[in-house]
Amino acid sequence: MSKFSERVAGFCEKHPTLYKCVLLGENAVKKPVFRCQDCGQCVLSYNAYTCCMRCPKEIRNGPCGGTMPDGHCEVYPERACIWWLINERAKKLGRQEKLGTYHIPVDRRLEHTSAWMNMFAGRILPLDFGKKCKDVVLTKNDPPPVK
Amino acid sequence: MVSGSNLELLLEQGHFAVCGEMSPPQGADKASILKKCGYFRDVVDAVNLTDNQTAIVRMSSVMSSVFALEGGVEPIMQMTCRDRNRLAQQSDILGAYAAGVKNVLCLTGDYMSFGNHPQAKGVFDLDSVQLIRTLADMNEAKFMSGEEIKPPPKLFIGGAANPFAEPFDLRIIRLGKKIAAGAHFIQTQPVFDMPRFEKWMAAVRDEGYDQQVHILAGVMPVRSVRALLHMRDNVPGSLIADECIKRMESVVDSKEESAAMGVAMAVETIKRLKQIPGVHGVHIMPVMWESITPKLVEEAGLLPRPQPSHPEPVEGSERGEEPAVASQGAQS
Repeated sequence: MSKFSERVAGFCEKHPTLYKCVLLGENAVKKPVFRCQDCGQCVLSYNAYTCCMRCPKEIRNGPCGGTMPDGHCEVYPERACIWWLINERAKKLGRQEKLGTYHIPVDRRLEHTSAWMNMFAGRILPLDFGKKCKDVVLTKNDPPPVK
Repeated sequence: MVSGSNLELLLEQGHFAVCGEMSPPQGADKASILKKCGYFRDVVDAVNLTDNQTAIVRMSSVMSSVFALEGGVEPIMQMTCRDRNRLAQQSDILGAYAAGVKNVLCLTGDYMSFGNHPQAKGVFDLDSVQLIRTLADMNEAKFMSGEEIKPPPKLFIGGAANPFAEPFDLRIIRLGKKIAAGAHFIQTQPVFDMPRFEKWMAAVRDEGYDQQVHILAGVMPVRSVRALLHMRDNVPGSLIADECIKRMESVVDSKEESAAMGVAMAVETIKRLKQIPGVHGVHIMPVMWESITPKLVEEAGLLPRPQPSHPEPVEGSERGEEPAVASQGAQS
């Protein structure tokens, strides 16, 4: 992201009340619409706007080998396999090639923080609306974000 | 060449590899591993040691692999993401490699609810693709933190693929991810539906993945029709052709005939798999029936197993170097 967005994120993170407002706003959108699981490192735009953290195994490079023939989950047979859903939606949206993106392991320090602010600060992959994505790797020196 | 393991050398030299699989005991019982090793020694090239398969507690795959080495069998240590976080996974790899384990198969792992401890917390810190990438980085002497490993492990890294589960096209994409992450070989679920497997292999060849990775097709000898029906109804992601079930049902009267039919079907499967371009070996999974492996491999015409030619040791062979590094570490 740009210098400007980093400054915006820096400003928000220095002001806990403002940060909480942003977080509330983000959750108000993401939780009902995408059933966001609050990992703080959103990959929705890569996964056809379907949250892969709803998978019981939280697989970010899915699917596991247990999807049923009718597309249901092996762990909760009454639910759809998230990765099956992602694939179906990606096909409809013409975004299937984005499913080949490798996603780095979840940084557990970012859980329950604002993915928008983390994106502005350049800690996570930027939204992918079609341009080629680059591999953003976190180093251990990144400051943990405010909660 | 990465690890110089028997399996890797055979595959790299273009031989048709044969892997076995055994489950560690549900007890502190080293003798049973050594006994099972007897069924696999000189019959297969390497043996998978499962890691709490179907989420049932068994002896750790790390220690079982070490015992398998003692038993004269080359282990392929399975490692799941269900039971360990990234620290434990990396430390187990270091220990296992130091003990002589050179092949590792990376899996996400069956969910806890399938096993005997459904109350347990699943870790799933990494997924199998990320674990493959981690091991590939460790081969390059890098921990996940970016710090240097001295001396690094040199592992032959494997992944799994399931040609039989949905969604078919996404599975090919995911196989590509595993290869890009650094997998050297791929083992598949047991083949009971040849047309589906051939369709999958055709898709794999279209992407050129068979040139980048060694694909070992799964083969499971079954003892009875009950086992097949259990797989069909209770093991998610398995696909069993009706023809297989019919053939097994035709011999339900006697145990011996039924077992003979199971072996005959597995032999046929192996012979057909050998014809498929891009299949570099078979992975035999005789679940709870390890003793049948020698007979099966012999009837499939895969005995005696070839011996790989060992490459010339290059400048100060690896074996010569390692103790020197180890002693330096001890002094400092």
